[in-house]
Amino acid sequence: MLEARNLRKEFGELRATDDVSLAFGETPGEMVFIVGPNGAGKTTLVNLLTGLFEPDRGSVVVHTEENGTTVEEDITGMAPEDRVEAGLVRSFQIVHVFEEMTVRENVRTAALSRYDKTLSMRTLDDGHAEVEGDVDDLLARFRLEDIADEVAETLPHGDRKLLDVAMAFALDPRYLLLDEPTSGVATREKEYVIETIVEASDAEEVTTVTIEHDMDLVKNYADRLVVLHEGRVFREGDPDLLENDPELRQVLLGVDE
Amino acid sequence: MSRIPFVEERNGESIVRVPLTRGLGLTPVQAVLVLVGIVLLFGLPFFSGLVGLSWERLFRGILFGIAAVGLNLLLRHTELVSFGHAAFFGSGAYGVAVLAAHYDVSEGLLLLLGAVLIGTLVAIIIGYFVAGYVDIYFALLTLAFNQVMFATVFRSGFFNYNDGLQVRIGGDRPSLFGLEWTTLGYNLVLYYTTIVLLLVMLLGMWKLINSPFGRALDAIGQDRTRARFIGIPVERYVWISFTISGLYGAFAGGVYALLRLHVQPEPTLYVFVSGEILFMAILGGFTTLVGPLIGGIVLVYLLEAARFWVTYYHALTGLVLLAIVFFMPKGIVGSLPSIGAALAHRRHDPGLVREDIRGIAAAMRRAVDRAITTVRIIVFGVN
Repeated sequence: MLEARNLRKEFGELRATDDVSLAFGETPGEMVFIVGPNGAGKTTLVNLLTGLFEPDRGSVVVHTEENGTTVEEDITGMAPEDRVEAGLVRSFQIVHVFEEMTVRENVRTAALSRYDKTLSMRTLDDGHAEVEGDVDDLLARFRLEDIADEVAETLPHGDRKLLDVAMAFALDPRYLLLDEPTSGVATREKEYVIETIVEASDAEEVTTVTIEHDMDLVKNYADRLVVLHEGRVFREGDPDLLENDPELRQVLLGVDE
Repeated sequence: MSRIPFVEERNGESIVRVPLTRGLGLTPVQAVLVLVGIVLLFGLPFFSGLVGLSWERLFRGILFGIAAVGLNLLLRHTELVSFGHAAFFGSGAYGVAVLAAHYDVSEGLLLLLGAVLIGTLVAIIIGYFVAGYVDIYFALLTLAFNQVMFATVFRSGFFNYNDGLQVRIGGDRPSLFGLEWTTLGYNLVLYYTTIVLLLVMLLGMWKLINSPFGRALDAIGQDRTRARFIGIPVERYVWISFTISGLYGAFAGGVYALLRLHVQPEPTLYVFVSGEILFMAILGGFTTLVGPLIGGIVLVYLLEAARFWVTYYHALTGLVLLAIVFFMPKGIVGSLPSIGAALAHRRHDPGLVREDIRGIAAAMRRAVDRAITTVRIIVFGVN
């Protein structure tokens, strides 16, 4: 379980995250969606959880089951690259891929890191069978096989988004934080992107925390819903909240759509 | 469809695509080029006289080229521009000089080993401070460290100020492999030892950039944030690559000292030397493995030869740099594939040559028209 405890983050006068306490993955493999109007602190929360920012207050804690007992690890000050090892992986709202590498090389670079092979001096095509196996699986799962040898910067936006997410999956995450995986993706392809993510995370029992603006997607795919508003947790619970909570509808629809 | 070398068809467009060192096997063309290169390197002392070159000068070019190959690890892969690589070249050179002059170490190979250790240590120290920086900050920090070292050596009696140190042990030049040599013999043995080590170092670099570690460095260069978030310890890896990069410079500087037998701050440690090393990488082609080596040889030769041809020979460096940036941004070696592809294309389709000529003619016509217009404006005040 990944837990945020009383997280607070200020940028000058702006309190982007204000006393946020949340837990993800109490049911392993659950799919949580974070929604909220622009400026609600969604991305800041993900940045705090994954270590891009340090919180001003509060802590980030990972609970791990070991031989039947739960071990608690405070990862608040931990560097992002070390959090990856703790199973905490993210994707980005603005695509971050290695632009001059092909799709395959992008996924492979992430997979090499997963197997702690980035310091290896053995030539790439020599004895990294488990890595190549993973890469092939992921390319198939994200339907990127046909464009595996295309250079990332030449791809259309939707494919770049998928690649960004596929790289996150290559790291064998336990908690996957996806910052608007469907932003900028054509409406008819959004479902396809989310569907792919759901399939992949179900297969590996990955707890996913997804920031999403499309309420239809949220209704269809969320196990649980977190609504942020002005840096605070405004609502938390079943996705049905969206249907029958007038105040919530006001917050979400009044500003955002 | 007949396959044209170096050209791929994609979506109806032909794309030139031959990264010389991507891909792990050598193509036949590359293998032949490698063989030719090796033969040229080994034959250099014998035939350079035939074409009017001094091989000792070309040797010096090779040495700066080795430093540039090291620098290129940062430039090409982690995409960091170092303006301070003379720090390592100079450390290597002064390492040899100090060990010989102050500590009476008389075996050349031992001196070289010491120089590499000292230069690498300097790289470890500087790397520790600069690894967290990017872009202009990285460039300026490396420059600053370099300048501090230069100023220190320049002002220090231990390094004998501007006059520098002799690489002589009681008046004698160092031994090589435990033997005393004549001047020519010494230079030849030094040269061939260097060439063998150079080949090993090139092979090592080739292994490195085609390994998972090399790919991690690429990742750092292309997107530092993402590299971190796929679990790559960015600063540590930059530090390691910086150190390896410095090792190449230190080796080159060490051999330089053994060759020249006299080490002064200006030709080894001055920041202009850093600029030249960087320039060599760009001139030869920083997108390739061996480009910087070729760049080193070409630049040193140009500078030496130009001394006799042109009065303002220092301006030549600038002019060559301008020409490279404008017309051959991939450098000499980096441009070979596109030149090869263009030639192959024309062999398959002679019509293209006609188009080239037409294109050049049109460009010249336009230039003349512009010139006429300009003159008209200057003379008559209106067009």
